Amino acid sequence: MHDKSQTQSRIPGEPGIWAFVTGDLLVFSLFFILIAIGNQEQGGVFSSARSTLDLRFGLANTLLLLTGSFFVAIGVERYRINDGRDNRIWFRLAILSGVIFLINKVFEWNAKVSDGLTPMTNDFFMYFFVFTAIHAIHVFVGVVILSFLHKKSQAPFTPETQRGLESGAIFWHLVDLLWIMLFALFYLV
Amino acid sequence: MSATSSNVLAQDSMSRKSLAFCGYTGYAAIILFIIGGVWLGGMLPPIPNANDAPAELVAKVKDNLLSFRIGSIFMIASFALFGTFGAGIAAQTRRFETSPVFSYVQIVFAAAGTTIALLVAFAWSLMVFRPDTYEPSILLMWADFAYFLALFSVPLFGGWCVLIALPIFFSEPGREPFPRWVAYVNLWAALLFAPGQMVIFFKDGPFSWHGIVAMYLPFIAFFAWIAVMSWVMIKIAHDENS
Repeated sequence: MHDKSQTQSRIPGEPGIWAFVTGDLLVFSLFFILIAIGNQEQGGVFSSARSTLDLRFGLANTLLLLTGSFFVAIGVERYRINDGRDNRIWFRLAILSGVIFLINKVFEWNAKVSDGLTPMTNDFFMYFFVFTAIHAIHVFVGVVILSFLHKKSQAPFTPETQRGLESGAIFWHLVDLLWIMLFALFYLV
Repeated sequence: MSATSSNVLAQDSMSRKSLAFCGYTGYAAIILFIIGGVWLGGMLPPIPNANDAPAELVAKVKDNLLSFRIGSIFMIASFALFGTFGAGIAAQTRRFETSPVFSYVQIVFAAAGTTIALLVAFAWSLMVFRPDTYEPSILLMWADFAYFLALFSVPLFGGWCVLIALPIFFSEPGREPFPRWVAYVNLWAALLFAPGQMVIFFKDGPFSWHGIVAMYLPFIAFFAWIAVMSWVMIKIAHDENS
């Protein structure tokens, strides 16, 4: 019988998810460097383009993802404590935050395109559209994964399921972390 | 290494040899591409650029005519080996599937991927076939065609990776066709191929077909993915005890 109360030092999730997270962070580091270089080389263009972004969209999305991460963390913890009871709501809330993020993003992109600002307008908007789209794909995949977690979290406790939930949660936290960097680089710097 | 993946093979020396063979063909594909695409063919790093004027591209082709032609021969040999490489992965997945849906779909994607890759080499060959006779803009179109085939085909090559990852994730613990970390590597590879689709929007910069994000990243990721999958296949084939 597995003793859940025993305190063991271990890495959350599967080892493979950490390799994935490291790899994804490496790729996004390249994206961040490209934005930083663009910012340095075309400071005026980037600055004036940045001023056209609506900070409220970015801020709302940041809060949505941070809150979503909080819900996922509670869901995983409740699974460990309650054997799959009373944790369904937390994953549902996290999924909802991801879906609202995507809807919000579509509205933001649509507003920009309606104003005549497209990926072809200048390098700032090229990076803005492409990198936020790649991130949005991450969010979409994250929502699909959260849907699996939602189903998995109803099962009685097993260490394998716990590792699976933790792996999915780690991916969602990665999505959150990447957005915070993009938010800072596009909206604030 | 998954205990069962090797145990199943331990009973069948022919399967072990064929799996190792498919793994080695993956290595061969990489070496042939390095010779044909990197050293001789000028595909990576790209000697042509997406923003080249047609006349500029013609001049580059004429300057490198012989090496591009020889490079094309090596490239088509490399790309043909994607078939054996992909079949090896599908065969290993097949051994662990009761209802081999993922294995069959993998075969479809591997066959389509091999065909698309072969067309890359065909397009490159036609670009260097008679640069004096073709209109310069036609040469540019062949270059566009080669890179679009290679980079814009994200759903095909990315989908292939996902179809390798899913049966690993869905396997019972201890019954995985490949170690679970291989599934994550495949998802990561699919992610790295994704920026290739940006080539349709840009003719210059990091998202064009000569750019770092849309071209270098997917190309390097693709051959790194082949290296990892080849290594895993060979390791499973040679691992008798684990």
